[in-house]
Amino acid sequence: MCSWAKGVFIALLWGTAATALASPVPEGVETLGRPATDTEVIAWDIDVRPDFLGLPPGSGDVWQGEETWLAQCASCHGDFGDSNEIFAPLVLGNITEDDIETGRVAALQDSAVTRTTLMKVATLSTLWDYIFRAMPWNAPKSLTHDEVYGLVAYLLNLGYVVEDDFVLSDSNIAATQALMPNRNGMSREHGLWSVQGEPDVRGSSCVRDCDVGDGCYFFPARLRDECARQSCRAGPRLGALPRVVDCAKQ
Amino acid sequence: MGTEADQGHLQLAPESFLSTDLINEIQREGIDSGRRTLIRGAIAAATAAIAVPSVRAADDPDIVNLPSWTRSLGKPVVANPYGQPSPFEANIVRRQSPGLTRTDQSSVSFTPLQNLFGMITPSGLHFERHHQGWVDIDPRRHRLMINGLVKTPLVFTMEELLRMPSVSRIHFLECGANTGLEWGNVAVPTVQYTHGMLSASEFTGVPVSLLLERAGIDRQRAKVLLAEGADGSSMTRTINLENALDDALVAYGQNGEMLRPENGYPLRLVVPGVQGVSWVKWLRRLEVGDEPWATKDEAAHYVDMMPDGTHRQYTSIQEAKSVITAPSGGQKLLKHGYYSVTGLAWSGRGTVEKVEVSVDGGRNWRPARVEGPVLPKALTRFQYDWVWQGEETLLQSRVTDSTGYAQPSRAELIGVRGTRSIYHNNAIQTWRVGSDGEVHNVQLG
Ligand code: HEC
Repeated sequence: MCSWAKGVFIALLWGTAATALASPVPEGVETLGRPATDTEVIAWDIDVRPDFLGLPPGSGDVWQGEETWLAQCASCHGDFGDSNEIFAPLVLGNITEDDIETGRVAALQDSAVTRTTLMKVATLSTLWDYIFRAMPWNAPKSLTHDEVYGLVAYLLNLGYVVEDDFVLSDSNIAATQALMPNRNGMSREHGLWSVQGEPDVRGSSCVRDCDVGDGCYFFPARLRDECARQSCRAGPRLGALPRVVDCAKQ
Repeated sequence: MGTEADQGHLQLAPESFLSTDLINEIQREGIDSGRRTLIRGAIAAATAAIAVPSVRAADDPDIVNLPSWTRSLGKPVVANPYGQPSPFEANIVRRQSPGLTRTDQSSVSFTPLQNLFGMITPSGLHFERHHQGWVDIDPRRHRLMINGLVKTPLVFTMEELLRMPSVSRIHFLECGANTGLEWGNVAVPTVQYTHGMLSASEFTGVPVSLLLERAGIDRQRAKVLLAEGADGSSMTRTINLENALDDALVAYGQNGEMLRPENGYPLRLVVPGVQGVSWVKWLRRLEVGDEPWATKDEAAHYVDMMPDGTHRQYTSIQEAKSVITAPSGGQKLLKHGYYSVTGLAWSGRGTVEKVEVSVDGGRNWRPARVEGPVLPKALTRFQYDWVWQGEETLLQSRVTDSTGYAQPSRAELIGVRGTRSIYHNNAIQTWRVGSDGEVHNVQLG
């Protein structure tokens, strides 16, 4: 199912807003706030949309990307973006040619497979935007535009989406986005975007002799025992002090 | 050991919930399937005897022997220039779930719902979710920019925002991942961890609609807003303009004072009914646009995975949900007799219409008392009179909101959405009260 068939859905949910009434501006309030200068807007307006509005020009290749990666990213994400130490793996090399062909990552249906960033993200703009604004995590906004192009190229290369000699630039980024392995994996067909949206699940309103299946319940023993042990430590008092029970003796 | 009066009738939930050993194991082995098996699998034999009240004297010594505080001079004013909770409440704090995240800066701390009253969360107990740590911003150096599809891009200082006409409104704030650990199976024992990414505050600020009007919003083309933070993560989220023009605020006030730094001081977005991640903290910019941005937290996370592997993108609204906060998991009923079962209900689409409680795992439902004021997109407190005679009980609550939507059971919810979504789990919660009075998190079916 291709969920980017925008027609009806977008007309319905993304098109109506501007007709709503905005608050009138009381007299005198127009003196509060001043026009932003162009330089100020450029300094802060760094977002890049999926249609690449906002993307600064530049380029970077896989090799440059690897160099920056090893110097500035690998300590947290691993040499190949596969580390699970600081954050979930970004890439694990489990994307197939078939996925790139169909734009749906098949392994997402397998709950045993670790879900990586590259398996999920449908838009390349997301990676460019996020790396530029927030990475490296401990020194955000320190990368140059070209470094970001290189890093995105390197991540795509780790996921077998592009070859080793690939150069990513503002002129081929849209074509490259069209190779994203999970580009068709997102859906906007749901009622959770708008307050007026239609719920997909509704509870029963039964009040007497309702069907509750076999009535069995799942109750993990390990947690139960931890509770008992630690309640002992907290003691049964209303407040935190004093501890009335000596847990060590139990 | 104290008298029976000291013991009360309800033993509090434990301070933390996993042993150091188990925390270490989780940190080694991760939180996914490994952790689930771990928690399901091992059965330790430890039991802890509960303190037995000592023989009661005829006279209560706490009445007969006047305590020190009745026979001494108290402390002066301004001993605490900023008031603090009683030292006897030192256990009532936000807690981090061990093993949930790998760092403390991209992490969560949970609100102790089991110990709170009414419909407002004390600001110091408001849950935390940060993606790149929290920051202390000098308000004199903070600016709000409005740009994009507007006639004039504008810059406001905090001083100017504080001079504008303001509104104050009470709203709940729930993380889209609240109860997210419970999709697959019972994962955490107390309501602090199952539902504690939830809070409610009175927020004060300037309506977004007023600011957009002031900037001259392009009504023909505008469809969405981008909100962006001033912290290192510069968190960005696409906001439905319909919500923004209806009741969103650029807020600086929380419960009558300025926002707490962990909650976005000096400025945050408030988008009533919408999941917490969209309430961008340390807000520096609003951009009016005509297409959504697919930012990291709406393209890699906060996307709801369906059984066929599709991700629902831009899921935002928090649908109606309720939970019993006492008696709740980890607590223990120490006496037979009367209990006021109490909890919270809320809906991102409107007001709470009714709350029902079941003591038999959902077979039969009876109405709970809903406490006023019942406000739109706010927490609503409910109570239910219950006499416990030691029988095993499965406690549940179910809310119906002003749109007629009834909170689904777990079976109804996972029947449509599967178990791998992480986000927007609003299923009915079940607490099992054992004949020993212990209350535990269980899942039916
Ligand atoms: C100090 C550790 C650290 C360093 C260095 C670091 N990152 Fe990260 N990165 C993180 C953490 C933690 C997150 C998750 C942040 C969050 O929770 O929002 C993250 C998230 C990401 C993500 C988004 C993944 C997702 O699924 O959300 C990408 C892409 C990324 N980093 C790329 C990079 C790149 C490229 C560099 C080098 C320029 C880098 N990181 C350096 C810690 C680090």
